[in-house]
Order: sequence, then C-alpha cells, then structure tokens
Amino acid sequence: MKRSGSELLKSINLRPFVESLIAILVGFIIGAIVLIAFGYNPFEAYYWLFHGALGSTYGIASTLKYATPIMLTALTFAIGTRTGIFNIGAESSFYFGAIAAVIFTNIWDNMVFGLVMGMLFGALWALPPAVLKVYRGVHEVISTIMLNWIGWFFVLWLIIGPYANPNDPNKTIRIPVDARLPEIGYGLSIAIVIAIVAAVLTYFLLWHTTTGFGMRASGMNQKAARYAGMNPKMAVMLSFLIGGLLSGLGGAMKIMGEGPGYAISQGGANIYGFGFDGIGVALVGRNHPLGIILSAIFFGMLRAGTALMQVRAQVPLEIIKVIQGIIVITVAIPSLYDLVKKALRRGAA
Amino acid sequence: MERTPIIEMKGIVKVYPDGTKALKGVDLTVYEGEILGLLGENGAGKTTLMKTLFGMLHPTSGKILIRGKEVQFKSPSDAIAQGIGMVHQHFTLVEVFDALHNIILGMEGHGLFSKIDVDKAKERLQKLMDDLNFKVPLETPVEDLPVGVQQRIEILKMLYRDVDVLILDEPTAVLTPVEVEELFRVLRQLKEEGKTIIFISHKLNEVMDLTDRVTVIRKGEVVGTVNTSEATPQLLARMMVGRDVVLRIEKPPKEPGEPILRVENLKVRGDRGEVAVNGLSFDVRAGEIFGIAGVEGNGQTELIEAISGLRKVEEGKIYLQGKDITGKGPRELYDLGMAHVPEDRTHMGLILDMTVTENSLLGLHWRPDFQYVKGVINWNKAREHARSLIEQFDISAPGTEAPVKALSGGNQQKLIVAREVSKEPVFIIAAQPTRGVDVASTEYIRNYLVKLRNEGKAVLLVSADLDEVIQLSDRMGIIYEGEFMGVVKPEEVSTEEIGMMMGGIRYEEIRK
Amino acid sequence: MDAGSVISILITSLMAMVPIVLTSVGAAWSERAGVVSIGYEGVLLMSAFFGAIFAELAGSAVVGLLGGMLVGILLGMLHGALTVYLKGDHVIPGIGINLLAMGVVPFGILAYWGTAGQHQLPQDAQMWHLQTAYGDLSPMVFVTMAIALVTWWVLFKTPLGLRVRSVGENPEAADALGINVEKYRFWSAVYGHALAGLGGAFMSVDWLGLVHKTMSGGRGFIALANMVFSGWNPLVSLIGGWLFGFFDALAAWLAPKHIIPGQFILMLPYIMTLVIVAGIIGKARPPKADGKPYKRE
Repeated sequence: MKRSGSELLKSINLRPFVESLIAILVGFIIGAIVLIAFGYNPFEAYYWLFHGALGSTYGIASTLKYATPIMLTALTFAIGTRTGIFNIGAESSFYFGAIAAVIFTNIWDNMVFGLVMGMLFGALWALPPAVLKVYRGVHEVISTIMLNWIGWFFVLWLIIGPYANPNDPNKTIRIPVDARLPEIGYGLSIAIVIAIVAAVLTYFLLWHTTTGFGMRASGMNQKAARYAGMNPKMAVMLSFLIGGLLSGLGGAMKIMGEGPGYAISQGGANIYGFGFDGIGVALVGRNHPLGIILSAIFFGMLRAGTALMQVRAQVPLEIIKVIQGIIVITVAIPSLYDLVKKALRRGAA
Repeated sequence: MERTPIIEMKGIVKVYPDGTKALKGVDLTVYEGEILGLLGENGAGKTTLMKTLFGMLHPTSGKILIRGKEVQFKSPSDAIAQGIGMVHQHFTLVEVFDALHNIILGMEGHGLFSKIDVDKAKERLQKLMDDLNFKVPLETPVEDLPVGVQQRIEILKMLYRDVDVLILDEPTAVLTPVEVEELFRVLRQLKEEGKTIIFISHKLNEVMDLTDRVTVIRKGEVVGTVNTSEATPQLLARMMVGRDVVLRIEKPPKEPGEPILRVENLKVRGDRGEVAVNGLSFDVRAGEIFGIAGVEGNGQTELIEAISGLRKVEEGKIYLQGKDITGKGPRELYDLGMAHVPEDRTHMGLILDMTVTENSLLGLHWRPDFQYVKGVINWNKAREHARSLIEQFDISAPGTEAPVKALSGGNQQKLIVAREVSKEPVFIIAAQPTRGVDVASTEYIRNYLVKLRNEGKAVLLVSADLDEVIQLSDRMGIIYEGEFMGVVKPEEVSTEEIGMMMGGIRYEEIRK
Repeated sequence: MDAGSVISILITSLMAMVPIVLTSVGAAWSERAGVVSIGYEGVLLMSAFFGAIFAELAGSAVVGLLGGMLVGILLGMLHGALTVYLKGDHVIPGIGINLLAMGVVPFGILAYWGTAGQHQLPQDAQMWHLQTAYGDLSPMVFVTMAIALVTWWVLFKTPLGLRVRSVGENPEAADALGINVEKYRFWSAVYGHALAGLGGAFMSVDWLGLVHKTMSGGRGFIALANMVFSGWNPLVSLIGGWLFGFFDALAAWLAPKHIIPGQFILMLPYIMTLVIVAGIIGKARPPKADGKPYKRE
C-alpha cells in the first residue's frame, strides 16, 4: 500500500469525460443529418462554425464572452446537484443579479459594489426555495419554476417601469462608465476571468473544505451526513445561496461587462434563458466545476461561430440549439459509456 | 394428516451478484394442510429461500415443484397464480389507498376501463372477514392504520387471491402479544380450512406453539426437519445454533470501573409519535460491555439514536463522564469521546458512493490533524489515515480511492469499526455490529469489542443476535416495549429466562 | 368593466385554457404513474410546429391536431425509454427536449417556409370556430373539458387508474401483485406527452392560426404549476387552468389601462401555487414514488 501516486491516477475517472465527448459527437452527427435533410451542406456549416469561433482573435474573444454567463449559471446547477438538489432557479437569480447591477451602480458608480449587489440579490432570490425546501419539504423543481416566473415578471416590470431609460424606453438606464468591467479586448471584458476564478473556487469549496465535504456528503446520503455530525439542512441552504450568488454574479457581469449597451434590453431579451442553457452546460460538464469551464467554453464556441456560419454557409443559427438539445438528451442516457462500448464490440465482432 | 406434498424445493442454490452464497442446496418439502415452521437465526437464509419460492428471487440452481409439477416463477404474480402467497416483513401496501383498494389491486375484475365494482368487492371481503372473524376497516387510508392492522390487510390481500399456501415472514415481530394470539387463532383456522402455512421465525416458543413440523435452517443449509410434537425447545435451539460453538471469544474477568454513560429515566418517541423508549435508566461502566437484548423494534433503534444525538429526547437525562449531554448533536458527542457503530451500515455508517478515504474521514473531518488550516482538508493526511485503518484492521479494499461500495459487507463493517475506534472514544455504541457480516469478520469484530472493554472503554452493545449479546456482555438489559424486563449478568440466567423476558415477562416475576 | 368585456375575457380565457389544461391533465396522469417530465414546454412548441405542417399538407386542422399528438407520443416514448426502461433521471431529458425545441422550431420555420420566426397558416389548415359577438370559440374547448373529465374518471374509478396510481405510489406493491410497473409507467408518460402534443397543435392550427418560434410562451411550465396547484387531479386542473387563462386575459385587458401593472397580475397564479405547495393553505402532496426509478432487487 505504498503506491499512493498510481492509486490517485487510477482514481481519476475518464468515463464522464468520454461520455460527454460521445454526446457531443452524437449531437454533431444528428445535426448534420438535419442539415442534409433541409438541403444544407453540413461540412461547410461546421467549417464556418469552427472558423468563426476559433479562427480569429475576435472569434476566440466572443467564444469566451458567450461562455461567461452560462459558466456561472452552470455552477449554480452543479453545486445544487452535488448537494442533492435540483436547483433550476439560476434563471431568475440571473435576472436579479442583472437588475441589481443596473440599480445599484446608478446609486454608487463602483464596479465592485455593483458585482457585490448582483451577487447579494441573486442569493436573496434563492432564499425562498431554500427555506421552503428545508422547513416545508417543498420540492425545489416546483418552487424554482414558480419563482423563475415570479422573478421574471417582477424584473420585467422594473425594466419597463421604474428603471426604463427615459431617452430609450425600450431599455433600462445604463451602467455608469466608471462601474463597467474593464475590457480585455475585442469586446471581451474581465468577466471571463472572474467566472473562471469562481469555478475554481467552487471546486476548492466542494472538494477541499470541510464545508464542501459536508455538502457533498449530504447530497449523497443525508442520514449518514447527520450521523457524521454534519448539518444537511445547512448544506441545502448553502447550496442554494452560493448557487444564487454565482448566478447573480453572472447576471451582473452580463450587463456590466457587455457593451455597447451596458443596459438590459427590450423585454429582458439579453438576460433571458441563461439559466436554462446553464443546465445543459453543467450536464455536459458532468456537474464538475472544472468540467464546466470546458463545457461552457464549448457552448460559447457554438454560439460564437454561428454568425459566420449564417453568413458564409447560409445556415440558420438555430441549428446550434438543435445540436445542444441532442447533446443534452444524449448525456441523459444512463451508462452511455457501457452502451457505446457494447455496441462497438458488437460491431467489431 | 394426509401426506401429499404441495411444494417440493430441490437443491436450491442462491448466489447473490456480490458472490454471497445465501443458499447452498436446500431441500424443502411442504405437505398440504400443515403449518410448517421455518426456523433459523437472523441471516440463516429463511427469507431468501421463501423469496425464491414466491418468485421474487430466481434461484441460481435447483428445482421447485408445485403439486408435483415443476414451475419457474418469473415474478410473484406467477406464484400467486399457482396459489402461493407471501406476507413480507416489510409490508407492500400503497399507503394512500384504503384497505379495499389495496386488496383488490391487480384483480379488480372486468375490463381495465370499466368502473370498479366497489360494492361487490366489499361484499366478498366482508364475507372473508366474517368467516375468519378477522376485521379491518376497509375505507381508511392504510397509512392511518396501526402496523398490526396493516399486516391483516396483507394477509387478506393474499386470501382474496385464493392462495392455498400462505408464507408469513417473521409476522410476530411487529405485533403485541394480544395481536400474536389473534394471528395464531386465524392461522389455525386457515389450516382447518385446508390452507397450508409456512411460518418463518426465529422464536422457539412460537414455533413450538403453532406448527406441525419444523424445518431448521442454518447458514443456507437445512439442518433437519422434525415433527413439532416430538421436538423440545432445547432440541430446536441446538439445531438452530449448531452443535459446534462457532466463535470462541476470550473474555478475561474484569472488575468494571466508574460509570461512563448514565441514562436516567429516558423517554423517546418513535417516528410515528409513539413512546418507543419508556423511562429507561441504566449505566455503562468503564471496562464493561453492557448488552441490550430484545426482539427488534422494541425501542432499541430509538434508544441508540437518542444517546448518539440523532433523535430528540422527550424526557430524562443522559450523562457522559458525568457531563449532561442530553440534546447535544453528534459532532459535540464525538468531541466528548463518543463513537458509534450504527446499525444501518449502508444508509448511515457509510456513504457508498464516496471513496474509502472520504468514508474513513466521516466524523473526523473537522479534527485539526486532518486540516491544513481551519476548514481546509488535508487529503494526504486523510489518505494516510485510511491506509492505516486498512492495514490495522486487515480490510480488503482495492485502494483508498476506490468507492466504498466496491467493498464486501464484512469489509465495509470493519471499516466502520476501524473509523469509530480511531476516534479514540471513552464510550462506544456498537449496534448490530456483525449483522450480515462473514464469519471471519464477525470473529474479528467481536474480539475487538472485548479488547476495547479490556482497555477500559465503556461499550454499549445492541444486537438482535442473542448469542452475541450473551457471549460478549458483562451485564445485559432485556428490552421489551421500551422498558427493561430485567438487567442481569448473562451467566446468572438461562436462555429460557432471557427468552421469557424478551417476551415481556419481568425478571422479578420469573424468579418468584 | 362592462358586461361585454367580461364575457370577452371569459371567452379568451377559455381558449387560453386549452393548451394549459391538456398539458396539466397529461402531466398529472404521468406523475400519478411516477414519471416526472419538465419537457412539456418543448413538446408544446414542437407539436405546434409539426402540427401546422401536417395541417397544411392535409389541408385539415384535425389532421394537424392528430399530427401534434403524434409528435407528443414520439417524445413521450423517448422520455419513457430514458426514464422508465433505462432508469435515468426524470428531469434531465426534459431540459434536452426544451433546448431541442428552441432549435428545431425556429430552424424549421426558416428552412420549411422560408420565413423568419413566424408563419401564418392558410385558411384550410385552420380549425372551424364558433363565432360569437365577443370572440371565437373553438370546439376544442369542449373536447378539452371532456378529456379532463374522462381522464379523471379513468384515473380514479377504473382498474386502469388504480393500477396507474399504484405504480406511482408504491411500485414494489404493484409489482408484487403482478402489475407490470414499467409498462404502466411508459405508456403513462406517452399519454401525458400526447396530450401536451394535442395542446401544442391546438395553439397553431386552431387558436392562433400561426406558428411562432416562441409561441409556447412558458405554457409547459405553467401547466406544471397548474398540475401542482390542482393536486395532481385532472378535473381540478380544469378549474386551475381556466384561472391561469383568466389571469392571462385579465392582465392583457388591464395592460393599456395602467391601473395595476400587468406583470403583477401575471405573477398571481404562481404565487398562489407556491403558497399551496408550501402548505400555507391547503396541501399538495405528490405521488410517493414520483420521479423515482423502479428497479427490482
């Protein structure tokens, strides 16, 4: 028993990684079939897709820009799953992060203040489902769906009501110049760096602290966690609050870091849907913060490449959502790895 | 008695996927119209054998014949179709349905889309209940009914299906003495009506009282079958336990020291709000194993949970080394020198999806030795710790980073014991420490408990295995409905006397 | 508010009720059997799209409705295969289906009709409506009421319903009595998604007469809220669904009047549902084995 190095190596499980790759492959193959069915050339489409996303500094910058918000909402979902809850409330925490950034930077035009308030309000909005879960046993899927809607209508009212821009009623007032996130270049702000740091910190929390150990233990077996002197109720609360905080941060950075508008646009169009997309990102990243960094960048790449694909190959950009949907459905297949392995073996024989 | 075999099981072998050999070639014959007792200790294979007969488990090899014809059951419904019904220890009732709908489920009559004829079903059930003088409320959701009534519903469910053979798995475990009497009356009446009954039990007196013949099973093999009229409890006990005393425990005499744990007038409620522990007082001293014996479900679980801080104390006090620990949580208790081998290994003692390292850190993770700075876990130290537990307790594991579910039951249990002992406790609760554990590990664990006692620790042993309690304990309390019927030294009482106390007779009354 | 606008709101809410109620009824049946799905949003959208294609090709709205149901059936089979037979998680496939719909429909509208985001259906592909002075009423309103009633009756009065509920409450008990848990669960999931498919096609070929890339507008989730609100009871979900539709219509009516912001009206049903599930008023208890895969030991 002195082979701790090789033991550790053996413990690194490649299976989830391979499963995600298989799912991505399946997504592209079915996407190609759909393209062919409608008379498009999939090779041309995919070529321009990847070219658009990775073929230039601008492309890479937009890949990372699109990866940022979904990375954070994916972390929300993942931290929930790791503590045994199905938190799909990232969507509305994201709205609150965005609107809080708009409101509070206009009170004090300080970047850090804006981010903190975004996180705070994202976390606050995650409090009701946490309390309902812990004290009344309300299933979080139900409560977060309700709260997503309540939050949506409330934020929508703020957008077109009190915080509408008097000069441009379709948008909210802008983030003051001094509170905006500094740009790295090509429209990419430091938001991506903050998001990656958040992912690494989430990983550290879950796998290297006693708090995280308690959260993961509670997620797998509440009874055993309680027996071991941990506090499963606290774990659930923390999971919701940290999750809300991360999505709130995502919402705030979406508005504070993306020019030229630096405002929430008409009907909330630029803050809608990131929570749901984040779930897909988390699933493909196998609910692991480091996997999520990769999968968010992958999803961001798909999104960034569409512009060029649409122009050069005349393929509607929605094909990307088709591919994403197929990927998520494919990762939902249990023991995909074994199924594929069996199929390959049968094919070889 | 006519001697027509209704059931013949021949050479039944059952090997579980994890390699455990639960049945090693069992032959069993059941004659029509008899009550056959199936006697054996916990884990002897009685339930496994009956589940293969009922179609819930598929035998690895062997044949089952019903009325001389070989059958292969894919599921319980095949067995029911052949007239075999079973009432499990854990009921299979739909809790929100009433008794009526639970009973008729699956044989509602008519087509799937026509209205259920509730009146007709009720009429038929009423007749069934009247004939047996065995009543249940038909229109109350079963979740609102007491356990005894739920069991009746299970029996009626089978009778409604016109089964000829009724298997009952430890049916008296959940019943009060009066309910047991009532059950036996009904079973005898069913026998008179020509039904065949297989009665699984590990209780000698019940088997003596009720059955016509007894088949004794030990470790997956049939020891023998005797006519009850020719048997004595002593004979059955010897067959059940085996001639050779399997395990040798060296236990030198030792004078116990100061009381470490003191329980005073403790009252605790169970999950359904009933009083599970009713004013219990006792102490466990340094260098002593205090055993608690009793039929399962008499408050043992609630008692352990109350002491270990997992369940609310209704009344009374608990002291550890003179310090009041009533109402303290597990973490504080561990810090104060308690350790706890829980009775439910897979649901409480371990987190199966976590690694050996992570599991060996449960309940120790906040100790400064395992942290770099406060709150940050030092996994290198944790791995070292896991490795030392593996070595010290000779646990066979693929590695420290393997998930703990890859370990066999015996090794999982050894890991728990190892972890708890590594907390360096002054007081340790050992609940069902060897349940479902292989012989070698059992011996190891039992000897280790004695070693702890010899080192001057206080050990509270709670076990459904009576022999274990008798062999290991310096003193033992026999618990019945949350109260001690007596606290005795094992060498001062006979097994029969312990059995009587387990059945609810107080020691004073026995000795009178 | 005069009588005319009241009647007009009521009629609008009856139409708005149809997709929500159909989906709620289907979801209630499916969850009673223990299969959870949050993919109804995607089912509604995709069946609205494909239902319109069917209707156009056949020149018949009824064929469109059936085509929408077919889409629901296929998606239900996909969901059932993943959750019931492969014992996978119940929530994740729905997320995939929703994402897929958000791609397939806008892509399809553009690729099939060549228009961006929206397509108006020709008259022959649209459902016949009862014309009243206060607005149109579709015969589907009555079909929906009938479906809710019959589903309720079958669920609570017949052997089939008893078995469906038993596999959602205690699959072990059902299995022990010879009820094929997987079969009942699988087809329950299919029925649930089929009704949502019908509701989706109703939106395009009947109610609105057009296909729009976001036309489901969250109704799949609203229907789930309504299912919970109605205590997993198909008959009650008729009332719940009408309430949701009513608030929708009320908010639309209030919007230009600037009395109360419409958003606050729209929030109400969700707040009420939350209050109900929290047990603050009434109680809502899901089936015991809802969303839990069943594996025999």
